[in-house]
Amino acid sequence: MNVTRRDFLKVLGTGAAASVTGCSAPLPDKLIPLVIPAEEVIPGEATWYATVCRECPAGCGMLVRTREGRAVKVEGNPDHPVNQGRLCARGQAAVQGLYNPDRIRQPLRRSGTGTLEPVSWEEAEQLLAGHVARLQAEGRPGRVAVVAPLVTGSLAQLIETWSQAVGGRPPLFVEPLAAHALRAANRLSFGLDAIPSYQIETLELLVSFSTDFLETWLSPVELARQFAAMRAPRAGRMGRFVYLGPRLSMTATNADEWLPLRPGTEGLAALGMVHLILSEGLGAGVPAEEAGRLRQLVAAYTPEAVERRTGLPARDLTRLARSLAQARPGLALGGGTVGTTRSATTTQVAVNLLNYVAGHVGRAIQFGPTSALGRAATYQELLGLVQAMARGEIDLLLLAGVNPLFSLPPAAGFQQALAKVPFVISTASFPDETAAHAHLVLPESTPLESWGDHTPWDGVHGLMQPATTPLYQTKPLGDVLLSVARRVGGAMAARLPWATFYDALRDRWRELQRRLAPATPFETFWAEALRRGGVWEAIPPKRVRLSPAVFRTTFVEPALSGSQDDPFVLLVYPSIFRYDGRGANRPWLQELPDPVTGMTWESWVEVNPQDARRLGITQGDLVALRSPHGQVELPAYLYAGVQPGVVAVPLGQGHTRYGRYAQGRGANPLALLPAEPEAPSGALPWLATRVRLTRTGRRQPLAIVGGSERQEGRGIAQSISLADLLRDHGAGGAARPGAAKDGADGHKAPPLYPPHPHPVHRWGMAIDLNACNGCGACVAACYAENNIPVVGKEQVAKGRVMSWIRIERFIEGPAERPETRFLPMLCQHCDNAPCEPVCPVYATYHNPEGLNAQVYNRCVGTRYCSNNCPYKVRRFNWFTHKWPEPLHLQLNPDVTVREMGVMEKCTFCVQRIKGGQARAKAEGRKLRDGEIVPACAQSCPAQAIVFGDLKDPQSEVARLARDPRGYRVLEELNTLPAITYLRKVQPGPLGS
Amino acid sequence: MDHRPGPRRRARLIAAALLVAAGIVTATLWPRGLRPGRGSEPPPQPIAFSHRVHAGENQIPCLYCHVYARHGAVAGVPSVQRCMGCHTITAVASAEVQKLQGYWMRQEPIAWVRVFRQPDFVFFQHRPHVQAGIACQTCHGQVERMDRVREAVVLDMDRCVACHRAQQASIDCLTCHR
Repeated sequence: MNVTRRDFLKVLGTGAAASVTGCSAPLPDKLIPLVIPAEEVIPGEATWYATVCRECPAGCGMLVRTREGRAVKVEGNPDHPVNQGRLCARGQAAVQGLYNPDRIRQPLRRSGTGTLEPVSWEEAEQLLAGHVARLQAEGRPGRVAVVAPLVTGSLAQLIETWSQAVGGRPPLFVEPLAAHALRAANRLSFGLDAIPSYQIETLELLVSFSTDFLETWLSPVELARQFAAMRAPRAGRMGRFVYLGPRLSMTATNADEWLPLRPGTEGLAALGMVHLILSEGLGAGVPAEEAGRLRQLVAAYTPEAVERRTGLPARDLTRLARSLAQARPGLALGGGTVGTTRSATTTQVAVNLLNYVAGHVGRAIQFGPTSALGRAATYQELLGLVQAMARGEIDLLLLAGVNPLFSLPPAAGFQQALAKVPFVISTASFPDETAAHAHLVLPESTPLESWGDHTPWDGVHGLMQPATTPLYQTKPLGDVLLSVARRVGGAMAARLPWATFYDALRDRWRELQRRLAPATPFETFWAEALRRGGVWEAIPPKRVRLSPAVFRTTFVEPALSGSQDDPFVLLVYPSIFRYDGRGANRPWLQELPDPVTGMTWESWVEVNPQDARRLGITQGDLVALRSPHGQVELPAYLYAGVQPGVVAVPLGQGHTRYGRYAQGRGANPLALLPAEPEAPSGALPWLATRVRLTRTGRRQPLAIVGGSERQEGRGIAQSISLADLLRDHGAGGAARPGAAKDGADGHKAPPLYPPHPHPVHRWGMAIDLNACNGCGACVAACYAENNIPVVGKEQVAKGRVMSWIRIERFIEGPAERPETRFLPMLCQHCDNAPCEPVCPVYATYHNPEGLNAQVYNRCVGTRYCSNNCPYKVRRFNWFTHKWPEPLHLQLNPDVTVREMGVMEKCTFCVQRIKGGQARAKAEGRKLRDGEIVPACAQSCPAQAIVFGDLKDPQSEVARLARDPRGYRVLEELNTLPAITYLRKVQPGPLGS
Repeated sequence: MDHRPGPRRRARLIAAALLVAAGIVTATLWPRGLRPGRGSEPPPQPIAFSHRVHAGENQIPCLYCHVYARHGAVAGVPSVQRCMGCHTITAVASAEVQKLQGYWMRQEPIAWVRVFRQPDFVFFQHRPHVQAGIACQTCHGQVERMDRVREAVVLDMDRCVACHRAQQASIDCLTCHR
């Protein structure tokens, strides 16, 4: 064959053309405009809707960013009094509830063969109405029961009215993490059956008795914000924080001191402090008569006696008690695992007494406003219903989005009782363990698709509006209840006259308007409430007196089931990401590494290394935990942060029917727990049993994110003592010239390249390590904003996690008394970036505004850049990751979805920078400082991250870059990062 | 032992290297001129809408129908409602306008065939271009002279960058790629 040069090139050309076209997927080739355009919607521009986060009972205000009708991102609502613009990782994942690929898409009815079959809403509602009408006709309406999650406001009213109209039992609003014992203790101590609000912003000393208020307790975003404010050095002082408890939780790692004690003995420690304060006459504000009776009550709790029973040295107790009595203001918190022992109530009473004698009640603790959690039905009430079901007294059970089969210990017998109920309706949005046993499933629309309101605290009336139209054939619960009432007709329809739940909601808000803004026309009031996300009113605190009942309290150590031969006390704690298990079907909440263990996609049992050595257990060994009530198998995680003799297991995994992301991961520790409630509070005790650990001989691979816990002298996460800070820089913290290093310190070699000019802007960031508490909200926000793929457990284990920002956790000091430092690590946007000169195709370069840019369409995937990055913040796409339908609807259209073979990393949210610049230009003005906020900074509950223009000397970020606490990570490498970290401040030991 | 490739193998290696080099050269030249005249043939549309009649003869401003161009990223294809704003009374006898009215009666959106397109990794914004006073024709050609719109101007990066250079607009990659 004779091939000419010309022919050869032709053939080659065609081949290249084929490969070029073969590379790109076909794009949609139709432009389909709306028949009638949506008002106030500009295609390509975001539309925001204010609503309320319903991922936990805290009720943070939320703004939903929608694009072309899709909810792409949620952010905190700055106008909302609870979270003031911040949002946690669970809140961020609300969109993954809306777009969860496992959602139930239409009503289901159990067929003759026992499977759940699709059915129309008409048929489904008629079926339910028929059952209700029949029970009413037969005169047995009392056999109807409704169990709902802790809803408040209009929906709670509607459910109550519906239950009354049916003639059924009063509805139960359940919340597994409601602080029942705290409420019972307040009833006993102060005669107030409520959960108070806490003011920790200005505290001099905060003492937490196993209360994980930065993770899951009461209102974590609100408390994290307050805590960060309390810890900020101001006028030469900062609030101190001491944590007492058997486990070093994420909250505990933020303490200046962790004082371990035997599990369940927190109350005794509190009583010991009460004893000390009274005997030393430090309880100045306590009336003499009360002081006398209290002294009698706590006479037995001398520091020495307490030391014997708690393991807490008397010296530490004394020091702490004196400091707490002198702190103005100070506060002791009781909750978390303390609130779930078999003597939880008396423990909380002890903490109340401590606050009372130290003079903090009515100051840092205020009864007004009080929390909606105080209205949650207790576990005992739910158990009452289970027993009625078991006795065959319930004919119709409506489970309105609750999953008792997962959230109750199997010992409570819910499954057996459920089998006795002839007609079970579930309104679950996702398939779950309980819905799998229902006769009828009426899938509820998710909160982002629904109208509603929520009042987490008295006076905080949050308003919810749909951010998108319902994705599937789902209906809000309120609409279903109204529709059923209409179909039943008669008196029931008359009591529930509204056509839709929206009408019922507006009627209730008319009442609010008449009370709060009588002069404002309702439509104006309503529009303003929708815009702001609700209305807020100030609630004056109640006066608090000690109740006489408190003097009759008998304090006991919590009893544990299991024999003394079972060597370990089981400590069950809620997971910061999975919560009580409801977050387990959100892929982000599975992939985010646990702040303490770095574990992803898993549950585990934390074992003290000493115990592990004795039992021959190594990390990743599958161990069997056996209690008198059940058995589970979990991989071991060796953790010096649990006391010897204690094992800790997070809640939230172990789902069997909760969708693809949750199923078959870990185990549910509730299987180990006894069913008896704690007596005065009716709470389910989580710290209630001893367990035996045995090796199974099998191992389970763990997907742990993170490398060395130790800094090995690299000075990555730095700290400074408060004394040094003051000595070096004066009480005002004024910048000392040259204190902020210019990055070239200690690096003598001249740079190879000329400096970058940055003619207009130089984007930079400041991260305050003293504020960062490790909660991971920034990481979740980054996943949401930047289309970061979830890679799954196997790929995480191979180190292929794609997060652009990670929280590094470093430990200083001895392993038994570790000092933990969290450091958010992301692309440092170096001025002298090691990644840039090694890119052979100019895909990464330094842009004129100081961004270290990554151009995906140029990248050929050599990975040289990642290899050369000392911060290890670049991520390589080993695969073209998939977003199972409809999760892809969450993708941010302003950010490229990357494909296999491309490197990626933090962009400082360049789409937000460009968006802000375009907005300013369109409005003919200059950019304002603080106008551009990257997703991580926006979300941070502690407000640890500040972004801005370093070229503007007046900007907040430029000011922080000059802060005496400022340093750059690995600055000896002369990378000249754009991120300034502010050293963590250590106030030194208490009483110093 | 000698590990150097034998003469046959060496020839093959050279051939392969040449092939790769030629591929790179072709791929580089491809967008400049070798590419067949993309968009030379205007695609048929569901309604024979004429820009010549609307924008040319009747001199309706582009932004009257493509309303979003000055506010946002995309110019927007007019809604059926906007078309009907005029065609309830204008040219109602025309067969094509009756087609339009059919869509309106059925409340059915019109699936226009897309003519101009940018790849997914390009984040083009109409707003700054319209605000800078760039004529629509600069990128879209003399649409007011076309009955059926075709891609008269090939909107590749070469063209974008040339204009950005001439206008002294940003040629930073992140301006369009993010």
